[in-house]
Amino acid sequence: MARNPIADEVAIVGVGSTGFSRDSGGRSAKALACEASIRAIRDAGLGPGDIDGLVGAAEPGGPQPQEMSAALGLPQVSHFSSPTPVAVFALVDAMNAIYAGSCDTVLLYFAYTRLPWNSRSAAQDPFRRRHTLGVMPAPESVNAAAAYAAWASRYIHEYDVPREAFGRVALNARAGAKHNPLAAMKAPLNMEGYLGARMIREPLCLLDMDVPVDGADAFVLTRTERARAITKSPIVIHAATVGLVGTNDEDQLPSLARHGQHVVVESLRSKSDLWLEDVDIFFPYDGFSIITLGWFENFGWCGPGGAGRFLEEHWDEASGRVMIDGRIPVNPHGGSLSEGATRGSGHIREAVMQLRGDADARQVPGARNALVGCGGFFFNSQGAILRRL
Amino acid sequence: MALSEIPSDAELVERFPYANIDHDSKALYTGWLEKRLRMNRCDDCQRFHHPPKPVCPSCWCSSLVPSEVSGRGTIHLAMFLHQGPPAPGVDYEKAPHPVVTVELEEQEGLRFTSTVVGCAPEEIRIGALVELDWVDRFGAPFPVFRLVGSR
Ligand SMILES: [Zn+2]
Repeated sequence: MARNPIADEVAIVGVGSTGFSRDSGGRSAKALACEASIRAIRDAGLGPGDIDGLVGAAEPGGPQPQEMSAALGLPQVSHFSSPTPVAVFALVDAMNAIYAGSCDTVLLYFAYTRLPWNSRSAAQDPFRRRHTLGVMPAPESVNAAAAYAAWASRYIHEYDVPREAFGRVALNARAGAKHNPLAAMKAPLNMEGYLGARMIREPLCLLDMDVPVDGADAFVLTRTERARAITKSPIVIHAATVGLVGTNDEDQLPSLARHGQHVVVESLRSKSDLWLEDVDIFFPYDGFSIITLGWFENFGWCGPGGAGRFLEEHWDEASGRVMIDGRIPVNPHGGSLSEGATRGSGHIREAVMQLRGDADARQVPGARNALVGCGGFFFNSQGAILRRL
Repeated sequence: MALSEIPSDAELVERFPYANIDHDSKALYTGWLEKRLRMNRCDDCQRFHHPPKPVCPSCWCSSLVPSEVSGRGTIHLAMFLHQGPPAPGVDYEKAPHPVVTVELEEQEGLRFTSTVVGCAPEEIRIGALVELDWVDRFGAPFPVFRLVGSR
């Protein structure tokens, strides 16, 4: 066992979301962040004077912590930061700050806004047009998003994987979104629809990529001891980690057999009393479908190259989605592919809602433990295990 | 290249409008102007690395020599862009634009990413042997690959 003194010591006591859409109707990212934050603080039964820590993911176009403090009129905070996306970087920072005593109660927020380079309609918005990327890159790059299409080509080459393997990730997400009022993409999708979708970066098509949205999620975290005064069964962070290997430049990554996800899995496993056999819901990140297949294999649900077959074997025809061993749903909220590109905050929010028993039509009866694999292969791999005490 | 021909930093930035050039990568782009692909090689342990870093990641030696590589290698990753950033000679409507990462023969795991010219898309496969060639982009040389034997 690795040292994990923080296990179960920090709890998530408030959740708020605006829901997600392809167009927020002229609202700023800050407005969305404020709405989600106020909901989360009220959900916790707290007020502005109770918040002494502020952590906001540094999403492009999103508000800085000091702007949020000013907008929400927080009297004083003793810890604030803006960790780089995706979501577990910010979760870990909030968790550590509380446990270390830098602050007692953190407002953790994530605000997403479509930008001119990932949304045609956003490019028409004069207010958004000023967000520019600097140098217009050459097409011959496998940096950032393109890396997943490039490595998907390798994955297909090494394991002879059919497109349907990727398609099942997209179908599962869409089936979940149907029952999630917060989700952006609810139109029914079948395999024929997936296979016919427009190629973007072949071998990946439009439906292999998360959907840019406007919207925000927020959470309130505090010491578990304090959370017990608020609720009988707090949702706690049992273990959380990030993972990085030395050679992580996208095109120099040694192989699909050794990258950030492997470090996350080893770290999480060594910190946790719970593992796959204890999991009630699985949240593999799906910014790109290839990432999801990676999480299935690297967590050990199946072997390398086997995720497509695994999804097929554990497919529930009646609901059109994955049910591992007929019991464990996967991204039941619709994930980034269909709820919207929340870069992991949606996965964490749904985990908390499920563990609280507040997931309505999506509720997994008696869910106690959730496993989150967040981020991709290169420099944002992360994981968390959340549980209901 | 004669000393007088070494471009100033300002000129280098001007010649490669699509590149994020810094002090660690300027030797790479200076090489392109001579149609040479030079990658950082450690003067101590002799290992190459890419993209250019300020120290050798294998031994922390900071004596790095931009050293020409052959540009021969094997396609390791291959994707086809159906849309993407605009570039001269790239017409996504006409045909998907290939982007490949090539594992160079000099060292296992040493890779360089560019496009492949002079062949049909279906010939661009992982495992195919390629060699280096140069095309013009915005009036400066740009390194690309060709399938071996396709010239
Ligand atoms: Zn060295």
